[in-house]
Amino acid sequence: MRSPPDLRRRPTSDIQGRRVPWVVAFLARRLAWAVITLAIYLTAVFFFVQWWVPIDFSSQFALGGGQADAAARFGLDRPLPERYAEYMGGLLTGDLGQSFSGPPVSEMIADAAPVTILVFAVGAVIAYVVGELLGRVAAWRRGTALGSVVSVLGVVSATVFPPFLVFLLVRYLRQPMVSLRRFLGLPTDSLVIWRDSPFEPSEVLGLVALSLLAAVVAGLLVRAYAHRHRLRWLAFAAFPANLAAAVGALFAAGVGAEAIDLLYRVDYTTSIGSGSPVLVLLGVVLLSFGQVLFMMRVGIEDESDEYYVLSARAKGLTEREVRDVHVARNALIPTLAASFLALPTLLAGMVIVEFELEVDGLSSVFFDAVEVQDIPVMMGVLVVLGLLGIGLRLATDLTIAHLDPRQRRAAV
Amino acid sequence: MSSRPPSTRRWRQVRSNPKIAMGAAILLFFGLVIAANPLLWATVWKGQERLYDPVIGYDHMIVHPSAPSATHWLGTDSLGRDVTSMFTLAARSSVAVAVAAALASGAVSLVLGSLAAYHRRWVDAVVTHMSDAMVLLPALLAVWIVGVGRPDETFGAVQVGAVFGLVYGLGPATAAVRAAGLVVMAKPFVEAARLVGAGGYWTMSRHLLPHLMPHAAVQAMIGVTGAIVAEAFLNFRSAVGGGIGFGYLVYEGLTWQEMLAGLRDIPWWVLGTGTLGITLLAAAFYLVGIGLREVFDSRAVQQRRVVSRAVG
Repeated sequence: MRSPPDLRRRPTSDIQGRRVPWVVAFLARRLAWAVITLAIYLTAVFFFVQWWVPIDFSSQFALGGGQADAAARFGLDRPLPERYAEYMGGLLTGDLGQSFSGPPVSEMIADAAPVTILVFAVGAVIAYVVGELLGRVAAWRRGTALGSVVSVLGVVSATVFPPFLVFLLVRYLRQPMVSLRRFLGLPTDSLVIWRDSPFEPSEVLGLVALSLLAAVVAGLLVRAYAHRHRLRWLAFAAFPANLAAAVGALFAAGVGAEAIDLLYRVDYTTSIGSGSPVLVLLGVVLLSFGQVLFMMRVGIEDESDEYYVLSARAKGLTEREVRDVHVARNALIPTLAASFLALPTLLAGMVIVEFELEVDGLSSVFFDAVEVQDIPVMMGVLVVLGLLGIGLRLATDLTIAHLDPRQRRAAV
Repeated sequence: MSSRPPSTRRWRQVRSNPKIAMGAAILLFFGLVIAANPLLWATVWKGQERLYDPVIGYDHMIVHPSAPSATHWLGTDSLGRDVTSMFTLAARSSVAVAVAAALASGAVSLVLGSLAAYHRRWVDAVVTHMSDAMVLLPALLAVWIVGVGRPDETFGAVQVGAVFGLVYGLGPATAAVRAAGLVVMAKPFVEAARLVGAGGYWTMSRHLLPHLMPHAAVQAMIGVTGAIVAEAFLNFRSAVGGGIGFGYLVYEGLTWQEMLAGLRDIPWWVLGTGTLGITLLAAAFYLVGIGLREVFDSRAVQQRRVVSRAVG
C-alpha cells in the first residue's frame, strides 16, 4: 500500500541537477510568466494610447513652428511599428523617453512613484487583512444583526463615491486631529513641524509604511500563535496591540509628530487636510476592504458544508476554532486568488483618493499628462502601475503557494 | 433532491435571494426616476423652462442654494438650478453608462472565456495571457485617456460605458468566465455530448454558454459598479464630456462649501442627492452581482478548486 505524501515536508525541486527550495523554482517560473504578461500589457497600452489620443494634440507643444514641426520633434511622424520598437527598446534599458514638455519621464516619475507605491502596497495588504477578518464575521454571523451591519459596510465600501469619502475624511477628521496635536503638545501648523524636523517627509512615510506593515504581519503571527495555544484574549488583542506598538515605535524613533502630520496635514497656507499620504492609505483601505469581504464570505460559505467541518464540530471544537482554524484557512486560498481580479478597482480607487487629496504621487503626474495629452508621461505612469500590479500578483501567488501544498507541488 | 428541473430551482433561488431583490428594487426606483423626467416636463414643469431647465434654469424669487421646498422638491444648487431636474437627468446618463458597460463586458467575457475554455491549447494561452495583462490596466484610466478632448456628442455616456466595459471585460471578467468555463468543460455531460458526436458549435451553444451566462453576469454587475463610480468621477472633474451627472452634483455641493470655507452649511440636498445617486445605483448592481454569485457559485466545491488553480 502506498503511503500518502507528507504534505508538511517542504518540497524541493531539481534545477540542473541541484536541489533547490520550492520558492526558487516557483519564482523562476512565475518570473518568466510575469515578463511575458508585462510585455503584452505594455504592447496593448502603447497601441491603445497611440491609437486613441488624437494626433493634432501635438500642436499645443509647438513652440513657434506649426503642428507638423511639433510632430516631427516628438517623432510622431514616423510609422507606429518603428516608434513601438524604439519605445520597447528604451524600456529594456530603463529609458522611459522624454516628456513633450522637456524633462525626461523617468525623472518626473522617480519623484512621484515612491509615495504611490508605498501607499498602495501597504494599503492593499491592510485592506486584505481587514476585509478577510470582517468577511469571517459576516459569513459566520449570517442572519444576525452584526452580520448584516458588516455586510452593509462592505457594500458601502465597494460603492461609495471616492471624492465624497475624501470630503468626509478631510472635514470630520480635522477637529479630532487638531485636538490630538494640542493634547500631545505638538505644534498644530504643519510648516512648524517640518521646519524643526531633521527628516524629510519621504523618509517618515517610509518608516510609517514599514511599521504599519510590520504591525499587520506581527498581528497575523500573534493571532496564529494565540489560536494554536487557545489564548482567546491574545487573539483578540493581536491587532490593536501591534498597532499600538507600531505607533509607539514611531514616537520612540522621534518621528511621532511628523507621522501624525502625514496622516492629517494642517497647513494654513494651503487647503486643510490635503497632501496627507497616510490619509490616502486610510482611504484605500476603506474603499477596498468591501470587495475582499464578500470574496471571503463566499469562500467561507462554500467551505461550511464540507465534511471536515462536520467532523471538527463533532470533535467538540468551539465554533470560533472551527471557523478560524479550519474553515477560514481553506477559504483564504480562493479568496486570495480571486482578490487579484479586484486589482483594477483598487488601483482606480487609490488614484482618485490620491488625486483628490493633492498628494504628489503618480495620480497627479498622470492627470496632468492626460490633460495636456503628454503621451510619454502617460505611458510612464502606466508602466509603473503595471510593474506594481505584477509585483502584487507575484506576492499573492507566492502566498497562495505557501498556504497550499498542492499549489507548491504543481509549481515545482 | 428536488424533483423540479435545475433551472426552475435556480430561478427560485434567484427570486428568493434578498440581495438580488434589494438590488432590483433600487433599479426599479431608478427606472421611475428616469421616467419621472419627461412626465414632470409634461405636467408640473410644463412651459416653465426658465425655472426648471437643468442647465440654465434660475428662480429669481429666492436666494440660492435653497433647501427643498414646494416649488423645488430637492432644492436648488448655488447657480439656482432645480436639483430635481438635474437629478432625474443625471440618472439617465448614469444608467446608460451602466447598461453599456454591462453589455460590453458581458459580451467580451462570454465570447473569449468560452472560446478559451472550449479550445484550450493556444487559444486558451492567448486569452489567459491577455486577460492577465489587461487586469493590470484600470479601466478608469483607459476611459480618461480616450475621453479627454472629445466632445460630449461623440464621447457621451454610452461610449464611456462601452470603453469601460471593454477594458474590464478583457481583463478580470474574461479571467473569471474562463475559469468557470474550465469547470463546465470538466463536467460529465460535456464528455457525454462529445461521445454522442456533438461538435464545437453544439457544445458551446448548448452546454458552455448557458452555464457561463450567470458567471459573466456576476462579473458584468461588479464591473458596472466600477463603471458608475468612474463615470461619476470623470463627470465630477468635468474631465470627459460636460453633461450633467451625479458627479457634477457632488462637485456643485463640494465647491460651494469649500468656497465659503464652512461659513455656511453644506448644501446637503445637492451633495447628498449626487453622492446617494452614485452609491445607490452602484450598490444596486453590486448587490445583484454578489447575489447572483451566491446563487450560482456557492456550494460548488469542485468548481471553486479549479477556479483557484486556474486563477492562481
